[in-house]
Amino acid sequence: MSKHQYAMVMDLNKCLGCQTCTIACKKLWTDRDGTGYMYWNNVETRPGLGYPRQWDRIGGGWKDGSLQPSPLPTMDDYGHAWEYNYEQRLYEGKKQPVMPSPEPKSGCNWDEDVGGMNEDENYFFYLPRICNHCTHPACLEACPRKAIYKREEDGIVVIDQDRCQGYRYCIKACPYKKIYFNEVTGKSEKCIFCYPRLEKGQVNACAAQCPGRLRFVGLLDDPESPVHKLVLVHKIALPLFPEKGTQPNVFYVPPFNPPKRENYGNSIQEDPRVPLDYLIYLFGPQVKDVMVRLEAELKKTQEGGRSEALQLLIGRDAETRFHVRPEFVQIQL
Amino acid sequence: MNDRNNPQKPFSRRSFIQTAAMTAATLALPGCSRNEKPVLTTLTGDFDPLRSYPYRGWEDFYRKIWTWDKVVRSTHSANCTGSCSWNVYVRNGVMVREEQAADYPRINAELPDYNPRGCQKGGCFTEYVYSPQRLRYPLIRTGERGEGKWRRATWDEALTMVAEKLLDNIYNYGPDTNSFFSVIPAMSPVSFCAGSRLAHYIGGVFLSFYDWYCDLPPGEPLTWGVQTEACECADWFNSKYIVLWGSNISQTRIPDAHFAYEARYNGAKLVCISPDYNSSAIHADLYFRINPGTDAILALGVAKLLIDRNLIDAPYVKEQTDLPLLVLPGTKRFLRESDLKNGGKEDIFYFWDTKQQRAVPTPGSMGSEQKTIQLNGADPALTGTFQVQLAHGNTAEVTTVFELLKKEIAGYTVDRVAERTGLPPNEIELFAKELGTRKPAMIIHGAGTNHWFHNDLSNRSLILLVALTGNTGKNGGGFNHYVGQERIWPEQGFFKLAFPETRKKQRFQNTTLWSYVHSTNKDPHLYNGKPIEWYIQESVKNGWMPLWPKNGRKPRAFVVWRANYLNQAKGNEILESSLWKDLDLIVDINYRMDTTALYSDVVLPAASYYEKVDINSTDCHSYIHPFGKACEPLFESKTDWDIFHALAEKMAEVATRKNLKPFHDDAFDWTRDFTQLAHDWTGKGAIQTDEQAVDFLLGNAEETKGMTYKQIQEKPKRFIATDPESWNSDIEEGVAYTPFKHQLEKKRPWRTLTGRQQFYIDHPWYIELGEALPTFKEPVAEKYPLYWNTPHGRWSIHSTWRDHRAMLRLQRGGPIVYMHPDDARKRGLQDNDWVRIHNEVGHCVCRLQILPGEQPGRVTMYHGWEKYLGFKEGGWQSLTYIKIKPTQLIGKYGHVNFRLNYWGPTGNNRDIKVEVEKAKV
Repeated sequence: MSKHQYAMVMDLNKCLGCQTCTIACKKLWTDRDGTGYMYWNNVETRPGLGYPRQWDRIGGGWKDGSLQPSPLPTMDDYGHAWEYNYEQRLYEGKKQPVMPSPEPKSGCNWDEDVGGMNEDENYFFYLPRICNHCTHPACLEACPRKAIYKREEDGIVVIDQDRCQGYRYCIKACPYKKIYFNEVTGKSEKCIFCYPRLEKGQVNACAAQCPGRLRFVGLLDDPESPVHKLVLVHKIALPLFPEKGTQPNVFYVPPFNPPKRENYGNSIQEDPRVPLDYLIYLFGPQVKDVMVRLEAELKKTQEGGRSEALQLLIGRDAETRFHVRPEFVQIQL
Repeated sequence: MNDRNNPQKPFSRRSFIQTAAMTAATLALPGCSRNEKPVLTTLTGDFDPLRSYPYRGWEDFYRKIWTWDKVVRSTHSANCTGSCSWNVYVRNGVMVREEQAADYPRINAELPDYNPRGCQKGGCFTEYVYSPQRLRYPLIRTGERGEGKWRRATWDEALTMVAEKLLDNIYNYGPDTNSFFSVIPAMSPVSFCAGSRLAHYIGGVFLSFYDWYCDLPPGEPLTWGVQTEACECADWFNSKYIVLWGSNISQTRIPDAHFAYEARYNGAKLVCISPDYNSSAIHADLYFRINPGTDAILALGVAKLLIDRNLIDAPYVKEQTDLPLLVLPGTKRFLRESDLKNGGKEDIFYFWDTKQQRAVPTPGSMGSEQKTIQLNGADPALTGTFQVQLAHGNTAEVTTVFELLKKEIAGYTVDRVAERTGLPPNEIELFAKELGTRKPAMIIHGAGTNHWFHNDLSNRSLILLVALTGNTGKNGGGFNHYVGQERIWPEQGFFKLAFPETRKKQRFQNTTLWSYVHSTNKDPHLYNGKPIEWYIQESVKNGWMPLWPKNGRKPRAFVVWRANYLNQAKGNEILESSLWKDLDLIVDINYRMDTTALYSDVVLPAASYYEKVDINSTDCHSYIHPFGKACEPLFESKTDWDIFHALAEKMAEVATRKNLKPFHDDAFDWTRDFTQLAHDWTGKGAIQTDEQAVDFLLGNAEETKGMTYKQIQEKPKRFIATDPESWNSDIEEGVAYTPFKHQLEKKRPWRTLTGRQQFYIDHPWYIELGEALPTFKEPVAEKYPLYWNTPHGRWSIHSTWRDHRAMLRLQRGGPIVYMHPDDARKRGLQDNDWVRIHNEVGHCVCRLQILPGEQPGRVTMYHGWEKYLGFKEGGWQSLTYIKIKPTQLIGKYGHVNFRLNYWGPTGNNRDIKVEVEKAKV
């Protein structure tokens, strides 16, 4: 076990689906050869295909202490990083319109805003995803090279880019499919929780740049940190697919959607637009209690009261949302 | 690729940030052929990576990626209304990435702060800077317009060509044949002013943009006598009831949306009114899936409920609105002093004072001696009919605007409104009740509502709701319209820089009218039995709207910068085959090859947003912050300031060489000596550089007095005051800005004919067309089955970022049209099919996405796609044309007069219908 554990909470009721996090991450970490198709941070519309396609259904993770089998996603599952031939149309007098290549048939955000139907009403929400920096990472266990480790000072899970041999067992083992193979370097890569930034006291790029301000970062074991409060005190944030057994350290405040037609004024628990079963599928059975708690807090505040939990989720400034403690987690290497 | 045919090459640097194409196209990634579960007994060392790891030296690999040599503060100029301050990181002389500066000062401890302001588009602008679309050298067209055949030119050659043509036009055809188009000064006023100053000194026509793009809410000039006034977005947090009306803030107000969702956690309820179940609707407490184009009937139905249930703020309505003013029912005109006294004024109006039981002149109207709207103890009657004695001795019955309004909306019963809007009656009633009781309440208004033909009517209906409930002029309340970054805070300083000899000596032109008249656009509809051409003629004849060039001449030269006129024009194919053919010279100044540049004759490469000095402001916040030079302008590009400076010099040189006599411009009695043009343009040498221009602007405005470019480079600064000439509230320390406190708190008259929020417009055309009061009119649409909806979306700011690779990869790679599953099923269409969208105007071919949140009977394509990208045929504007609303052509009515971007016909685009079928490709 690491001495401390950095964690992140994402409030899905503030997410805009704008993908600023995706671009913040991409411009910083995956703007290199071999990384075009990979999004260490992605945002997907739920319910939906996900990125890579069907990642939540194809396997990986733990069951009864064993790693579960999984195929490797294909490039079609990830979606290609399309290229465009601008020059021929703009400068060379050729008539072909500028077109993506290869022809688009799938993509990392292919079913944006589609979601699902609950009887005749549409519902959806955005699910931003990074590596969960799990407490029991399946990827780490799966690596025959022992090239994946959990940093002892802060619990961040990283892949040693020197020692990785590109076997990709980790990709199969990860139930969240948050590890990507770089065909140019022959190594697997993944979200590094922006350790270079955290080490200098700056929060992760995805969190720092999030205009929806839905990300909270800190040490789970630091009682002052917002993640500690949201996960352990207010108990309104849950991990994704807890049954996969990896114990993620990324947590979500589960989403509301507005009531269905003609339901305004009734409790969200009665015939909600987002079926409770779907939330249970994603966040486990605990989500029921969390939804009841959240609705009660919202009702209280909309009737003129004050909710400590929601006041924290407002996250008025960066100091409230982020508790980055480089001095606290530093170790002698 | 044959580089010899590409004038952008030779270009020896490697293409930046090029990622390797993945070769294993549709196959599973190779390798990894062993069993699923690796054999952990063959470990490579005696350690447990769950606890500690012995080989951590490699970690520097990622640490080195997050390094830089230099950080420079800059921003973007795309008309997103964001105005977000960014840091640009430079490594080895290359701009590698950007990150929000996130240092806007806090207004107060209770309000959430503005950080980090920015979005995904701003977060990847650096890729544009080095992209193939980036213009590197001056180009002169060698093929047909739009063909993409060019030769590289020197600056000297390109500028000489432009200078000679502009001067020829002035002497041979008149200065009004040179037309200039650039948008939105607030997003980069120095770049804007560079060209507007040139237009100013050569007598060119300066074209409007805010009305043309239909972002102007005409109901604001009509009701309030202002262009657009909205609270800064931090004020959303002060609200207890936020209605997103035709505004998808999650997509179009990305840096500000958090204020609304955080307000909800602070006790606000959130209502979303939109035909599609969209990314803002998902966060609402109440979602109204309204039928397209029916917003006004919902608002008027709610107004009726508010009145019927006595949920109106009567003291507010009596003091702040024209609802108590008296009207002569026979003529349908306000009762004026001229009706009561011989020689009485036309701009003094009356209410019935219940205390004195007589008609009393309303204070603060345009003709009133009193410069206040304070009632001084009077109690205006809202209801009733009264007798007044007219000047010629007869008595007449008069009634109030409020009575007329009640009559006007009597038919908008809950059942009728529910039927037309498609909304449940019980929820309409709940909405009205909450709007009337939860205070403060605000409407956040967007293009979803404003882009309709009858936008003035829906604006006025919505403004009525927040007036009846006494919300306008209060923090957390009001009607707040955010479409386009139209409002420049240091406005008076901007005017001095933009039009140095004052705006009176500048030819201004509404672009909607200009584009309609100078093209073969034809609106087939009749309005009150008359074609729009009749209204246009009357308007121009009456001097209500200007029309340049005068006397049936055609524009000959067109200079475009900071804008993409052709791509964004309604009916751009009609324009291309008419207006475009009449133009002898089209000049585009740009950092990227957009559609207008592609269809131009001369393309001049401009510095990008990260290579220039300028400033930026928005109505969404109350700060000013700068552009900065992370690098000097790349390749042979120059800043807009330097380009127009060089053009002014070149024109002076040509005038001297050709020995041109000074030109007497009769319209202004202005003798223009073009040999002195550069001297004039630089303010007689005082403003040589862009930084001097910034300091001039800042120093000449109350909002920024004492600030300098150097200071705001350090940190965004909040405006220190507001000029009462331009603004309707003060900037108060610790308080979010919201407009109309001068009217509400200081009792300053509204900037209208009556001095009040004016819901009754008694102009003869309004009376004839039945629009003296807010009313509901059906969309002016065609016979096709599907509305053609082209809203602003998250993936672009108009056309900017539409061609950006990093953004395209997060979509479906090109333009898509969204359709409801039922509509797709009826037409036998599958997701990702190529489809042909067509109507009587034109067609385009693109891909389909099936979207359950879309409204049946409507298809959506988020706007701005460049015509050259992703369409097999046509483009998103191939289906549109220009439709002018007659009531927006009026002028010389009290406060309603032509003014650039303040009042003029809007280029609406929602009342268009199409059919969609599978394309043969």
